[in-house]
Amino acid sequence: MKTRILGAVALLAVIAAAVNALLIVPADLNQGDAQRIMYVHVPSAWLGYLSFGVTALAGIGYLWRRDLRLDAVAVSAAEIGVMFTAFAIWGGMMWGKPVWGVYWQWEDPRLTTTALLLALYVGYLLFRRLTDDPARRAARAAVVGIIAAIDIPIVHFSVEWWRGLHQRATFGSPDKLLNPAAPAQFVIALVAMVVAFTLAWAWLMIRRYQLARIEWQIEEHGRLGRISAARRAAVAPQAPAAQAPAEEAAP
Amino acid sequence: MPQTTIYVAPRTPPPPAVATRELARLFGRDAALAGVSLRVERGRLIALTGPNGAGKTTLLRILATSLRPSFGVAEVDGVDVATHPELVRPRVAYLSHATGLYDDLTAAENLRFAATLLGRPSGTDGVADTLAEVGLALDADRRVRGFSAGMRRRLALGRLLLASPSLVLLDEPHAALDADGMALVDRLLGRWRDAGATVLVASHHADRIHDQADGWARMDAGLLVEVGGEGVAATLPAPALDSAPAPVRAQR
Amino acid sequence: MSALRADAAVAWAIARKDALSELRGRHAAGSTLFFAALVLLLFGFALGPDSRRLAEAAPGLLWLAIVFGGLLTVARLHQLEADDDALDQLARYPVERHAIYAGKALAGLAAMLVLGAVVLPVVVILYGVEVGGAWPALLATLVLGAIGFAAVGTFYAGVTVRMRAREVMLPLLMLPVVAPLLLAAVKATAAALGGDPFGELGAWLQLLAGFDVVMLIAGGLTYGHLLEE
Repeated sequence: MKTRILGAVALLAVIAAAVNALLIVPADLNQGDAQRIMYVHVPSAWLGYLSFGVTALAGIGYLWRRDLRLDAVAVSAAEIGVMFTAFAIWGGMMWGKPVWGVYWQWEDPRLTTTALLLALYVGYLLFRRLTDDPARRAARAAVVGIIAAIDIPIVHFSVEWWRGLHQRATFGSPDKLLNPAAPAQFVIALVAMVVAFTLAWAWLMIRRYQLARIEWQIEEHGRLGRISAARRAAVAPQAPAAQAPAEEAAP
Repeated sequence: MPQTTIYVAPRTPPPPAVATRELARLFGRDAALAGVSLRVERGRLIALTGPNGAGKTTLLRILATSLRPSFGVAEVDGVDVATHPELVRPRVAYLSHATGLYDDLTAAENLRFAATLLGRPSGTDGVADTLAEVGLALDADRRVRGFSAGMRRRLALGRLLLASPSLVLLDEPHAALDADGMALVDRLLGRWRDAGATVLVASHHADRIHDQADGWARMDAGLLVEVGGEGVAATLPAPALDSAPAPVRAQR
Repeated sequence: MSALRADAAVAWAIARKDALSELRGRHAAGSTLFFAALVLLLFGFALGPDSRRLAEAAPGLLWLAIVFGGLLTVARLHQLEADDDALDQLARYPVERHAIYAGKALAGLAAMLVLGAVVLPVVVILYGVEVGGAWPALLATLVLGAIGFAAVGTFYAGVTVRMRAREVMLPLLMLPVVAPLLLAAVKATAAALGGDPFGELGAWLQLLAGFDVVMLIAGGLTYGHLLEE
């Protein structure tokens, strides 16, 4: 029930903030309507990073507690995070073409770091698919997620330096909105979008985790069922020891 | 004169060499161990028997800290293998199916490497003596790549001798060995007995082991089916229950 | 302090064992070196024949060759443990997990330095690079880059050594993580060769050193989890 309320609130918030950002707030003087993409690009990027942080923390938690529910949190965050990250990159490119003239700008640390974040996500998710055993997969994925998370600030920092040590002409920066000089209306619209998106993210996380948890419970129950079935089959007088009756394993 | 109070702890019996409680291990959908509760007393030689796939190797690997339990608890000398594997490793020596030798190194180099990692400094590592003991003195400087399966197994046994474990776990030690090799294993079993170590042997060659073993435990389909002899005790799966007791969740 | 000495002895023994195996291992190591040189040749065909363009691109091509050769190198070092389940056995010794990591990483460093020592002259010859007085800076960059690559590579080789599709998973997981190392190493190399006009060489070397420290610590702390099943 609480999730439903969160979902409804998130939906309303997103609609309201989007209407505000896309229709009500005036267009940027220099960049025109193209600048409005920032209202979705920035929150998406933020959520991409947040999700990866959750994945890494859930991984640490799993290694400490060995509770597979934490692994469910990690994979939920990774799947949702990869969506937001891909969307953020797409938004960044859509913004880049009219404003920069090109889809990609190597010296923009946020864009390149986000691209690398996407690569790390995809690697993480592909890696998970290649291990079958849930406990082993969880432990290895946790470790991979942690190292990848450590790498992200290093990447950002090094690309900043990459840009900074070259005295090139400044180009239009997408985070103009985050400058203190930006008009209050723009900043409020952006903050509203970030909050709305974060609510939507929270709702997605909870739903995805619930799904993962059900999967885990079925899996777990199945595992315990298989253990019980093996035990009962072994002590049953006539039944062959190796056979575990399928019906008995069902929840 | 300051007064000192001396506390004398009540005498508790030392923990058994091996103690497991509802130990279970799953590989994906497959229950390799389905709830094993076993106790092995110190200094005993116990034979572990059962068909392929019974879970003998899985049990030994968990005790050797090479595998984490899925459920349940496994303890060596009272130390939980899942929470403190680093305390268990010095006490255990394990002979597995695979010999874990480096093909491009010689027999002597393989043993010297093992000796260093076992904490034996190179002067007194006893490598030469060990090679003589296992009948590989003449092959000391040959690369393992050219060794037969029997020779590899002898070298692996030699590696066990370099350690001084309190628990020796042997997985099919007689495999790939000729008559001399099998006699070597029997000798080593006797040696470990005399040293007071506990030995757990999984073997198809039940007859050879049973002469020397104190007790035995038979496994099938991931469960203990029967135990006998001295020094080993188990809680066997209870018959005719509608629902088996829930496996004890591993703490870590 | 004797715990540190014990760890060092373990790491040294592992590194020594790997070095012995590499030297005796039937030209596997040599093939990798030849592969790296071949890659440089191919870059020449792809980007040439304008020698000035190649000379400008030389720092980047140098490090790309090191990265490609490095992927094969770190994979091979862990492959030494895959035969006969030696990694399993290695994990059972009563030694610290980070000492095992240190040993493998040390072997990786040695192999990477050899790779760099081979690749650098090839680049100098093929792309007409003028080294001049830049040798110390170049060597520093090479060493710092090799340390970082070995640190990360040892970790990911440990992750993928027992996996399906490990030949593609290793680069797939590793390359995004070494992107900052590549960036910094190329910039430092270019700065060194160009006489460091902006005074940025020190900054890039610091970034490399920082990367190395962070990754060595992270790898050392987490490698143990990879050894257990």
